This record gives sequence, C-alpha cells and structure tokens, in this order.
Amino acid sequence: MNLDLTIKKTWLYKINPSLKLLVMVLLFIGVLFVHQLNMIVYGTLSALLLLILFSGHPPKRLALLSIPFIIVFVSTASSMILFGKGDTTWFKWGLIHITEESFYRGIHLGFRALVFATLGLTFSLTTRPVYLFYSLMQQVKLNPKYAYSFMAGFRLIPIMIEEFQTIRNAMVVRGVQQQKGIRSFYFKLKSYSIPLLSQSIRRAHRIAVAMEAKRFSEVKKRTFYYKIGFSGYDVVFIVSWVFLIGAAYYLSLNVPILPTGDVRYE
Amino acid sequence: MTNRHIAASVTNLRLKFPDDPQLRFKDLSISFEKGEKVLLLGPSGCGKSTFLQVLSGLIPSSIEVPVKTEDIQLPQSWGYVFQDPDTQFCMPYVDEEIAFVLENLCVPRQEMPTRIKALLAEVGLTFDDLHTNIQTLSGGMKQRLAIASVLALEPDVLFLDEPTAMLDPEGSKSIWDTVKNVSDEKTLLIVEHKLEHVLDLVERIVLFNQNGEIIADGEKGYILTHYKSTLKEHGVWYPGVWEDYLRSRTKPLMNDPRAEIVFDLQGFQGLRKKDPAITVPSATITTGEWITITGANGAGKSTLLLSLMQFLKTKGTYTLFGNSVKKTRNVTEYLTFVFQNPEFQFVTNTVYDEVAYALRIEQMDEQFIEEKVNERLECFGLNGLRKHHPYQLSIGQKRRLSVAASIIKNPPVLLLDEPTFGQDSRNTFALLEMLEEYRVNGTTILMVTHDEEIVKHFATRVWKIDDGQLTSDYFNVEKELVNA
Repeated sequence: MNLDLTIKKTWLYKINPSLKLLVMVLLFIGVLFVHQLNMIVYGTLSALLLLILFSGHPPKRLALLSIPFIIVFVSTASSMILFGKGDTTWFKWGLIHITEESFYRGIHLGFRALVFATLGLTFSLTTRPVYLFYSLMQQVKLNPKYAYSFMAGFRLIPIMIEEFQTIRNAMVVRGVQQQKGIRSFYFKLKSYSIPLLSQSIRRAHRIAVAMEAKRFSEVKKRTFYYKIGFSGYDVVFIVSWVFLIGAAYYLSLNVPILPTGDVRYE
Repeated sequence: MTNRHIAASVTNLRLKFPDDPQLRFKDLSISFEKGEKVLLLGPSGCGKSTFLQVLSGLIPSSIEVPVKTEDIQLPQSWGYVFQDPDTQFCMPYVDEEIAFVLENLCVPRQEMPTRIKALLAEVGLTFDDLHTNIQTLSGGMKQRLAIASVLALEPDVLFLDEPTAMLDPEGSKSIWDTVKNVSDEKTLLIVEHKLEHVLDLVERIVLFNQNGEIIADGEKGYILTHYKSTLKEHGVWYPGVWEDYLRSRTKPLMNDPRAEIVFDLQGFQGLRKKDPAITVPSATITTGEWITITGANGAGKSTLLLSLMQFLKTKGTYTLFGNSVKKTRNVTEYLTFVFQNPEFQFVTNTVYDEVAYALRIEQMDEQFIEEKVNERLECFGLNGLRKHHPYQLSIGQKRRLSVAASIIKNPPVLLLDEPTFGQDSRNTFALLEMLEEYRVNGTTILMVTHDEEIVKHFATRVWKIDDGQLTSDYFNVEKELVNA
C-alpha cells in the first residue's frame, strides 16, 4: 500500500504548524458569522486559490480529493434549496418547495461547507503530522505523552490498511462471501473487525512498552530534534489572509456575483 | 545488597499472570556477572521473555503483572531489543526514531545528527539520506535500526528477545554479526531458539522447563552435550537438529504415478498497479508435486501465490485442471491458501467451529461434519482444544488450526506462505510431515520458504524467483522417494 504523497514543498509548508492551526480554527469560527452570500463566495474562491496555487500538490490529485467535498456541497445545498422556507416561490411540487430565499440560502450553506473543506484540505495537505506535534509541544506546551502517542498512532494506519486487504483475501479463501442474508452482514463485520482490533491493540501495547524501554517517561524535560520556530513566512501567511478577507469583503460589496445580500430568513 | 561484579540478579522471584491458575515463576534465583554472554533456552510459553522483562524492570513498571522478589538487582543501564520489527518504533523515519531516544536522554539538539550517524555506522547501516522511511526497510535492517536506537542508551546490559524470530536466514545472520560487533564489553542476555549463529556469541546457557524452573545452568558445551534430548523435546533449533530428524523419519513415499496436470501457465504475469510484479514464462505442475518457492525478500514469492489465487490482476494463460481461470468463477474451489499470520483466517469462536466452517457453508449433514472434523482434529493434535477460542492457542497450534481449517474440504492444491516462519523445530517437523502425507495422496503443494533444509528434504521441485521472474525450475533429486 503506497500512501506516500510526494510533493513540492511550498511556502505553506514552512509556516509554523501551531500558528497555521490557530489561523484555520479562527477562520472556521469566522465563517460561521458570515451571512452575506457574495462574501462567502469570494471567501471560498480565495481559499481555493491558496489551495490550488500553493499546496504543491498536482491539480489531478487535488481534483480527486475534492470529489467528496463536491458531494457534500451538492447534498447540503440541495436539501436547503428543496425544502427551505421562503416567500418568492419558483417551483412547487408536493413537499418540494423552491423559493428564491431558500435557493440562495442553500447556495450559501453549500459554500460554507466548501470553504470548511478547502481550509481543512489546505491544512492537512501542507502539514506533516510530526512537525505539527513537535510544534504543539514547543509552542503550546502539549504534553509529550499525547504528542508521541499520536505520532506512533499515525505509523499504524498504513499497516492496518495492508492488514485489511490481507483479511479480505483470507475471507475469500474461507468462503465467507458465500454466506447470504442479514446475519452474514453481522458475521462479516465481526470477521473483519475482531482480527483488526486484536492486532492493533496488541501492536499498540508492544509499541508502548518499546517506547518506555527507550526511556520515554512522564518526566517532561526533554530536548527536541526538530526546533520549530517562527519565520517570515508566518507573517506572509497572516498578511495574505488579511488581504484575501479584505479583498473578499470589497469585491462582495462592489462586484457582487449573485444578486442577494444577507441570506437569513426573518 | 549490590555487588559491583553483578550485572543483574534476582532472588526468590515469584510471578503470576492474572488468568493463570499457577505461578509462572516460583522462587527463581539467578545472577549474571558483568560482561557475561548468556543464552536462555526453554519450550515456548515457559516464560523466558517474561523473565527478561522482569530483569530489565519493564515488569512491573511498564507491564503490570504482580511480581514479588526477596532481592532484585536491576542493571544500571540497559537496552531491550524486541521480536517484532514493526512494533518497536514510534516515529516514521530512521533519523527521527533514533532522535526520539536522544530526546528522552536530553541530548542537545546540535549533537543529534552526528550521534545518529555514528550509531547507524555502528550497526552497519548507511543511508544516503538519514531521513528514510522505516517502512521501506527490510526486516533485518529494521532490527539493526532497533539495535542502533538501543545503543543510543549506552547500555551495559543488552536484552535480546528473539530478535531474529521474524527474519529470513540472511537477516538473522546480519543481526548476530551486528550484535557481536557491538557487544564487546557488554552483558548479553538472549532468548532465542535458532542457535545457528548465536552459539558463537554466548558462553553460558540457562535451560528452563515448561514450569518456568531452571533445570540446567552452565557452560555452553556442557549443556549442548548433556541436554540434547531436552533441547529436542523443547523444539530448540540446536546444531544438528536436521540430522537427528532425518535419521528418525521414515523415507518419503512415492505418490500415485498417474499424475494429472493441475496448473498450466504460459506467459503468466501478476500485476501490481498495472506493472508486472511476477512473471512465469512457462510452467506446468502436476498432482503430487511439492514445489518450494525461494528467493530474496521482495523478489515476488508471495506475489506469485496471490496471483495464482487471483487476488491480483493477472495476464497470460492460466489453466487450472484444463479450464481457463478466466472462465472459472471461483478458484477457491480448487485452491486454498494458508496465510503467514493464521489469525487473519479465523472466523468463528471455537476450534471445532473453525474446522467445521467450510463444510457448514456447503450445508452438509451435521453428523457427517462431526465425523470429519473429529478425525481432522485428532490428526492435527487439536482434540483437547476443541472448545477453545482460536486466539487462545499457542502460535504452533494456531498454525495447525489454520491448515486444518483450510484443507477440510480436501482441495487439490495447497498454497502456503512461509508456514514454518518463527516456529520451533518440533512444530515445524510436525507440520511438514502432515503436508507430506497430503502430497503422497495427490495434493499439489506450493510453498514459499526461506529454509534451505526444507527445500532439500521436502520439495520435489524447486522454483527460484529473482526480481519478479521465475529464473530457475528444477526437480529436487536429493529427496529420495521410495515405493509404497
């Protein structure tokens, strides 16, 4: 199983991971208070711009990773469009009632989901977990116990995927797929999850013992192989966000794409 | 009481696992001098590994097990190398893993890169880039990395708990060469049942019995000559174990000469990500053949078996009993596969149900199933364990169960991926003999193995795989068959 995503290291990689996380969380919260449709459309576009231009991943991979998010966009938007409240009716058929207000609110919700996805993807595609946890230990004083547990956990994921494939093959050999009916679904669930879980628990326990055998302990004092600090890129990152948000605000007022403002229904 | 010449010692050790009715150790006392190289031997499950964990202090500090001692002297500085290469590391890259140990010791950051390079050099590992993903290393390299990271602790005592159990012969040799190089002044306490390389290293052998009692303790030559039968009984791979076995075994029988063609492969390729990972130019296999597949790590041995099972996409001609596999919907009707880790194949809650499973799917008569399963359990030595959960069995029993469950329907072809891997000699011989019996009755066996002795004494035909190609295919003339 190959999970190695080789990429070009752009300036987004050089930002302090804790700072990046903080900015992303602030943006997440901020987006919740944006009710101007054009503002959120421009906001999404600027986030997409950052992702496409500076994540360092090939466009094809980005497109592939966006598929689930497009589905989220369509499903969130469509349920609001089809069933939301509104006064200016465009279309009505049974339970389905599309109004102008519900349509724009649906689009707004869709974009909100999309901007979350874009920000999350930008963060996870440009941050190495190891650096994130080293940074959290150094800047946020995260207890090393948790940081190293997470890093050890990350190592287990590709091993588990490989194991899952082996179990699937083993089940074919045993003839499990020949069983039919609802009971067989429960049976299959059990046949996959028990060996996977038992192996993982055993492995986690062994790793924990091995870590303690290497003198990893509760004592907080330790040195760090990676010194994660701040650099000019952090300033660039913050300034670029201030600029992008400012630009989105200005454009939403002066060059609106869609003919509506606040989408809340009074 | 501490003695300057003693590396580690324990007096009247008592230890009990919560689920066991009996004490694992009862009043065990032993001491090891500084600089001694000691090998601990005993049957599997006698508590050797547990004993190492007590002496290192991992029990009870990291693994909580009730333990009582009158007096215990733990080594001042020690390092512990474990069995499984995949569960020793907590970081994804080589440099980060060693740095983890250095961080724990509060080594200043500036000194780390030089220390890491020096430690890797000590175990004979060189990388163009220290930032190499651990997952890309072979098992032998991983274990050497484990030794390097343990050496960072600058230990006086090294505990080695079957460090080569999961390695091929080449990897095993590299580990013991490495240990020899780094252990000059150090005390070594080793648990290992493959004695081939480790014997050059040790001076003293401590022999345990099934109940965790020490039955012998002395100079290695003395133990090897006076306790040979005990070693044999315990399944230890002592030097000369094969000669002793061959002397006692009955000559293998000739199989039914009316052989039928099972496989016909022409330009057969197994693909991984659309690229051919294994190529078999041309081969036919008949009933009653036992083919061993050998080759270096990653050469494509397991890939060949997976391709034959159609778990991978394949190209070329592949006929099974005269029918093209493309038309055969289910190759599992003819072929069965025994995986390296038997646990993956278990689907039920008891040993009995496990063996009965394949027959129950076919909705056979329950009485017939019972007869058949009982006979099979008897033959595989699992009769007393029928109500146990498969996971509760020992590693040798699990392996036997996975074979028993796979072949209950008498499939004509058996594929095995290193079935003797990490097994003691007794279990290995027992399994090989069972397979031999099936072969004589006409079953075709394809088996991946690293063990040259198995190839020599059990294979009727040998396949060698180099770099994804079947490069050599010959009949084994050393295996003499006699007429029934």
